[in-house]
Amino acid sequence: MGNPSSIISQDAFLLLLVPGLPFAWALLLAASRREMLQFLAPWVALPGLLVALLLPAGTIVDLPWVMLQTRMGLDSSNRVFLLFTSLLWLLSTMDAWESMAGKPKLREFLFFMLLSMSGNLGLIVAQDLFTFYLAFALMSFSSYGLVVHYRNEESLRAGRVYMVLVVVGEILIFTSLLMVHQTAGSALLSDFSEVAKDPWILGLVFAGFGIKAGAIPLHVWLPLAHPAAPTPASAVLSGAMIKAGLLGWMRFLPLGGHALPEWGALFIGAGLLAAFGAVGIGLTQRNVKTILAYSSISQMGLMTVGVGVALMLPDKFPQSMAAVTVYACHHGLTKGSLFLGAGLVQSVQRDSRHRAWVLAGMGVTALALAGLPMTGGFLAKGLLKDVAGAAPQPWGGLLSALLPVSAWASTLLMVRFLFLASRVSGSGGVSTGRWLPYIGTLACVAMVTWLLPEAASWRGHALEADRWWMATWPLAMGFLTALALVALLRKTGKSFAVAVPPGDILVVGAILVKPLKSAMTLMTSVESSLDRGVSVCFWNRCGRGPGAPALLAERLRLLRAESILLGFTVAGSLFLFVLVALFLLMWWPGAFG
Amino acid sequence: MNLSTLLPGLVLMSSFIPGLAIFFVPEERQRLRTALNMAGATLKLVLVAVLVWGVYHQETFRTELPLLPGMDLVLHADALSVLFVTLSSILWFLTTLYAVAYLEHSPQPRSRFFGFFSLCVTATIGIAMAGNLITFLIFYEALTLSTYPLVTHRGTAESMRAGAIYLVYTLVGGAILMVGVAWLAVLAGSVEFVEGGSLGLLSQTAVSELRVIFVLLVGGLGVKAALVPVHGWLPAAMVAPAPVSALLHAVAVVKAGAFGIVRVIYDVYGIGPAREMGVLDPLAWLAAATIIYGSLRALRQDELKKRLAYSTVSQVSYIALGCAVGGPVATLGGIVHLVHQGLMKITLFFCAGNIAETLGLHRISELKGVGRRMPLTMAAFTLGALGMIGVPPLAGFVSKWHLGSGGLATGQGWVVLVLAVSSLLNAAYFLPILHTAWFKTPEVSPEDGLARRWREAHWMLLLPPLVTALLAVLAGFLANAPFSPLGWSQLIVFREYRH
Repeated sequence: MGNPSSIISQDAFLLLLVPGLPFAWALLLAASRREMLQFLAPWVALPGLLVALLLPAGTIVDLPWVMLQTRMGLDSSNRVFLLFTSLLWLLSTMDAWESMAGKPKLREFLFFMLLSMSGNLGLIVAQDLFTFYLAFALMSFSSYGLVVHYRNEESLRAGRVYMVLVVVGEILIFTSLLMVHQTAGSALLSDFSEVAKDPWILGLVFAGFGIKAGAIPLHVWLPLAHPAAPTPASAVLSGAMIKAGLLGWMRFLPLGGHALPEWGALFIGAGLLAAFGAVGIGLTQRNVKTILAYSSISQMGLMTVGVGVALMLPDKFPQSMAAVTVYACHHGLTKGSLFLGAGLVQSVQRDSRHRAWVLAGMGVTALALAGLPMTGGFLAKGLLKDVAGAAPQPWGGLLSALLPVSAWASTLLMVRFLFLASRVSGSGGVSTGRWLPYIGTLACVAMVTWLLPEAASWRGHALEADRWWMATWPLAMGFLTALALVALLRKTGKSFAVAVPPGDILVVGAILVKPLKSAMTLMTSVESSLDRGVSVCFWNRCGRGPGAPALLAERLRLLRAESILLGFTVAGSLFLFVLVALFLLMWWPGAFG
Repeated sequence: MNLSTLLPGLVLMSSFIPGLAIFFVPEERQRLRTALNMAGATLKLVLVAVLVWGVYHQETFRTELPLLPGMDLVLHADALSVLFVTLSSILWFLTTLYAVAYLEHSPQPRSRFFGFFSLCVTATIGIAMAGNLITFLIFYEALTLSTYPLVTHRGTAESMRAGAIYLVYTLVGGAILMVGVAWLAVLAGSVEFVEGGSLGLLSQTAVSELRVIFVLLVGGLGVKAALVPVHGWLPAAMVAPAPVSALLHAVAVVKAGAFGIVRVIYDVYGIGPAREMGVLDPLAWLAAATIIYGSLRALRQDELKKRLAYSTVSQVSYIALGCAVGGPVATLGGIVHLVHQGLMKITLFFCAGNIAETLGLHRISELKGVGRRMPLTMAAFTLGALGMIGVPPLAGFVSKWHLGSGGLATGQGWVVLVLAVSSLLNAAYFLPILHTAWFKTPEVSPEDGLARRWREAHWMLLLPPLVTALLAVLAGFLANAPFSPLGWSQLIVFREYRH
């Protein structure tokens, strides 16, 4: 790693551009209406891509004056995150430019996209907690502009729920970081692997980042906000920004330190709950984008399981982290691609011949998400299963049995998604410009995960027969179940969708709002009586006749009538009075002394 | 006579003399008045720069005037006073610019206004540089009185009432403070402000008296610092013109109270003796209660300036909280918030004034789409509001981080809880304003079809909030740079805890 030099080298400068360029570009967009700025906006993600591909691990830039300490750098664990995140941002922003070209709100949308991009890329390259927290906040607050973009009732509601959880998350994270900093005595991420196993810290980190990662029951904002945003924004919300929660866990949990079996069990339990529960609720949804959002919750659940295994087995945490990272990359790219595809399908005519191509692309991507052999999902799921199987019993056995079942559940959800997607249609065609980013995501889905160095150990197993079998039977079972369900429903003539509102247990929250509101009303009345107590009572002796202060006020009001006395005289004479009082006072101690 | 004995006095005079002169400027000679104002403000900035440089290099600056036998009027410059003086001078410069644009076309007597405006700043500078309690008290009372004509400037019934409330509160507070000072003078003679405390052996021999005196002093100061339950004057006083509110909330009156509390704890009692006397914990609880209560009240004000006023009640108590919690880190958080809160709050009040002056809007519910019409003003407002919530990299984050860190370091984890609740409430009352201004579409009334048009404030109204917002960003973003507010506060804390 060498000596982190204070001289800004070429590499370090490139590293600064990763969050810096999108941020600066966003400011330019705000300042000027020039079309060129909007056209070039997607390419500000390029430094991120270049850094991920070209710079050696261990590149560091220190900015000691910035914030309370700032260090950015590339290490072994953030390169993959940087790679898929910047790819996804680049392609989604391109899609945004193409799909919204000429619309008046494009500039505003790109402004919030670039701010969020700056935050998202910044938190990945952050090497100290201040920079991480800063970038995390920038991303979370700016994406509000993406969620409420359409300003309709649905998106405004989604925005409200989103903002409440962002603020709560920010505060939980702030508190946890204070404690981490206190315990570790340092702000550098590299010093956190040994932080004490304080249950407060662990709980706060779990909840604070769990909000972003969609951990149940903190996921309620996600099925509302991800679909409410325009599709390019949904793609990055669900593909890239959701991973910030995961990265937060990886950065701030004491992985590789002490074994924490109870906490590991908590993470695994929460992960499994999300993995299966979200599929169950997702199946009842009718909006394709909501289904994708639930799918994201479910997939994040699997990554949460990986984090849980790492907490149980500190010795093997590099392997578990590699598996989780590969999984994050695979999911980010596929989910991004699925969202962009859904956006395309929504805008093409039913009889267009492009439509079949888009649907075909989405079909393959959806199967990749479910783990079709030779796709990225095959690899990611295989890696995760190997790691999970090594967990101490009974978890190892349980997970080995349940992970294929989750693939079955994912297949079911993806079939439902494809079915609904095939019925969605719009009114136009697909411009050449919009094909480009979509095909880009398809190419990434096909290749990137396989090329990761983290996947090297597994590539050799890719042709083993039992791996194929393990990956194929859940898929086949999923299809069979789907067919059986459809047949059953046809026969009974019932509609498939039980109406679970998006945000599911948010309904419970809504029930709590009413008592909260009446508590607020109660407080208002308490407050006004307090006011009476504090100032009015002081003023009027609780309303009964004028007290001394009221008399003084009366005098002053009389003074006002004689306008000469106003200002100068009142202040001047009072000033004199106080000066005289002060002089008397000064003699007084002398008289006693 | 040389620079080190003259400079504190010169800094004071640089606003006092223009202030006196302005009283005699005829109403219609606007240029002359503005020239006097700006010349004074600029001169003060230059003098303060010299002062900062000197104090950083451990030079002593001290002006003494014999007032009475055994009682000297002492102006001195230590690290803490320089922090407050610098803040006041910079913000005064900007506020003067703002006030000229805001009030020069109003019908009320302007020479009176700007005269008292200068006196008000003179008093603030005097408070900052007071070298002993008596000097502090004199300027403290002078501040009370020179602010009264500013609060009542409009002359309406409402502002007269607010002025009366203000006077009653602050004069009673001043009287209590005076009793405390006198009592302490009887016990200890002339009480100098000395880093590390100036009571010496007395703090072991007269503990119970000193406890009562502490209550009197902090009680008196607490009126201006708007501690609950004596905060009532502050929300009432928001009827004052915007530049007055800005100065009142950011540097002058409220800050004078908070600054006084810092002085009493650190330079009169000394942090160690004060802790042993057990007077700090109750103060910390009171400050915490004020923080939460002010935020709760702010939550349901629809009037923009009133919401900001309650927010001040809450935010200023961070200073008292940090100082009362003790320990170098929390103290650092409290002292640096003296500057940070000033920068952020003055920005918010400037912006509220701009919106009121340019669009005639006073209520938050009326602000729909204001972001489109006054984007620069609202951008500054947004930075100030996010800073108050504690979003990094803005100044408020740096304060909150140190307060929380300091709480944990001294084993008082409840401070973190207070901060968390307060931040939540800050977000709950600031974010809806931002949402309304940026994301709601303006209602176009039939007679005013122009409700969507760009209509930014006059440049003299716009420049001050933009500068202060930028300063609030820089104070946070470059917190670790030398001569940042944080860097300077570290110097103060180092010198306080050296003893």
